Amino acid sequence: MIELRQVVKRYANGADTLTVLKGIDLRIEDGEFVSIMGPSGSGKSTLMHIMGLLDAPSSGTYVFDGQDTSALSKPQLARMRNQSIGFVFQNFHLLPRMNAVRNVELPMLYGGIGRGERRSRALELLGQVGLHERAFHWPSALSGGQKQRVAIARALANNPRLILADEPTGALDQKTGREIMELLQRLNAAGTTIAIITHDPNVAAVANRTIHIVDGVIVDEVHAP
Amino acid sequence: MNVLEMFRMAFSSLLTNKLRSFLTMLGILIGVASIIAIVAIGNGGKAAVLGAIANQNLQDTIEIIPSELVAPGLPQPGQVLSIDDEDFSIAQSFQGVSQVNYTIYGTSTVSTSSRTANVSIEAGPSDLDDLARFTVIEGHMFQTPDVIAHRKVAVLSTSLAAKLFGNGNPIGATVMVQGTPLQVIGVAQSQEANLFSLFLGSDYLYMPATTCRDLYPNWGISEMDVQIEPGANRDQLAKRIVTALNIHAGNAGAFEDSSGFLAGIAGTVQKVTTILTIVIGAIAGIALLVGGVGVMNIMLVSVTERTQEIGIRMSLGATRGAILLQFLIESMTITTIGGLAGILLGSGVGVAVSVVTGVPTYVSWPISVLSFLFSAVIGVICGLYPANKAARLDPIDALRYE
Repeated sequence: MIELRQVVKRYANGADTLTVLKGIDLRIEDGEFVSIMGPSGSGKSTLMHIMGLLDAPSSGTYVFDGQDTSALSKPQLARMRNQSIGFVFQNFHLLPRMNAVRNVELPMLYGGIGRGERRSRALELLGQVGLHERAFHWPSALSGGQKQRVAIARALANNPRLILADEPTGALDQKTGREIMELLQRLNAAGTTIAIITHDPNVAAVANRTIHIVDGVIVDEVHAP
Repeated sequence: MNVLEMFRMAFSSLLTNKLRSFLTMLGILIGVASIIAIVAIGNGGKAAVLGAIANQNLQDTIEIIPSELVAPGLPQPGQVLSIDDEDFSIAQSFQGVSQVNYTIYGTSTVSTSSRTANVSIEAGPSDLDDLARFTVIEGHMFQTPDVIAHRKVAVLSTSLAAKLFGNGNPIGATVMVQGTPLQVIGVAQSQEANLFSLFLGSDYLYMPATTCRDLYPNWGISEMDVQIEPGANRDQLAKRIVTALNIHAGNAGAFEDSSGFLAGIAGTVQKVTTILTIVIGAIAGIALLVGGVGVMNIMLVSVTERTQEIGIRMSLGATRGAILLQFLIESMTITTIGGLAGILLGSGVGVAVSVVTGVPTYVSWPISVLSFLFSAVIGVICGLYPANKAARLDPIDALRYE
């Protein structure tokens, strides 16, 4: 599914360069549920940005679905984000001036799907995450857990191959967090590849495989029994 | 993602900030409205002046006047002070001329047993253009036999009749002019709306030209009215008659076709109003540009405010092009709606001005279309920089922006 080879990410920081990722080698296969753990500043967010095609490695190779991403143009990368990747963020990142169903429609809008189909699929997805009655609520009228469900429905809009979740339970209470993790597990069981970034061992434990990253280097890899 | 969707998105985005969108629109609206209104009023005023001039200028009549009389000052050597009978016969001798009449203008006083008024006297044949300008509303105009017979009759303008007789019936009454009693045979409507009446006043007394010469033998005949036969070339004939008269007077500039004089005025009026319209229009155009700067300013604020939104959209697969178009269309929507509303408001102002002042106004369609297009272009120009700024945002920085 995806493969990172010797991925390095450097940032210019005044006269110095700050190396955030120091040669990451990582393969994630189709259908896997991988969690990436590490303390803050370890480079896990940068890794997720690179995996999500929001950022490009300074050196090394990132192969997505058999394609070397360094060869892709910006519009092609945008297209790939739109069609193959779904993001779930810690702070949900719903557009505040759109109701739930229009938030879910957004990726389909950029994917060029017509109005009628967009609306019916968005409603169906909201039904799948248990929010059918809240479809026309504004984000400000939804609880944290409900917002995250909307965000997951939005991430699923174009049937992506990979869902990248950055601390998806970080802003939720324990019970709601567990519900969100159960939802992600269900999606994984249905075939979606999921990579989740977290510092919460309980969350990471849900994954089949946990990668520990410290100071830009993968230090440990644990397979679930 | 098609353009229609883009417009729908722009609308809903503008609707979330109604007051701000409206205020931004207002800048464009006022600019466009002032352009439309100014051009409409300018065109209307121009048309009114030119129409009044054209009214003085009948197609089947050549008005010939001694040149210098139109210029103020003392008589100059070689100046023709009055048209004489020889001049008339010269004009009459041209082929295509059906009749030559003359008109005398002067000012004097007229009185009844109890009242006196200053009047402009106009004397001539009964059927000439000047008299045709005035509609007789009571009694009748004097006729050709009255002119031939030197009859002592007069037609008063309504305002003069009101001054002399109040509400009484003037028909059949007698007025004293130059110590001679004239019988009032008609009342003609004063032409209040005519622009010339503003300068010449509206108290008029009309009498047969022959009668006038009897009463005021010293008044020069200041206008020769040459009526031409249908089908004759008016301008050519006018030139030839004027040339012949000048040769007779021994002065190349003695006479002129007064329609030329009027055409000169018309040309000047046209030039002045055109220049005025352009100058004021340019000022309004500057107002429109200021409105455009306001649009740019608000779009920049909007891009900054919505940085995180832009990041989210990019993460969901919006291309830079889509982000650019989104903001461009938003700014274009503001300016085109402002432009449309401005056209409506400007036309409304034009109509209001014409209702209040009585001067007609003409909303110019080409200018309306042009200002609509111009406001759309301003939307693009002023939206380009903010939209480009939005499209160039780094998705990660944009996502992190709080």
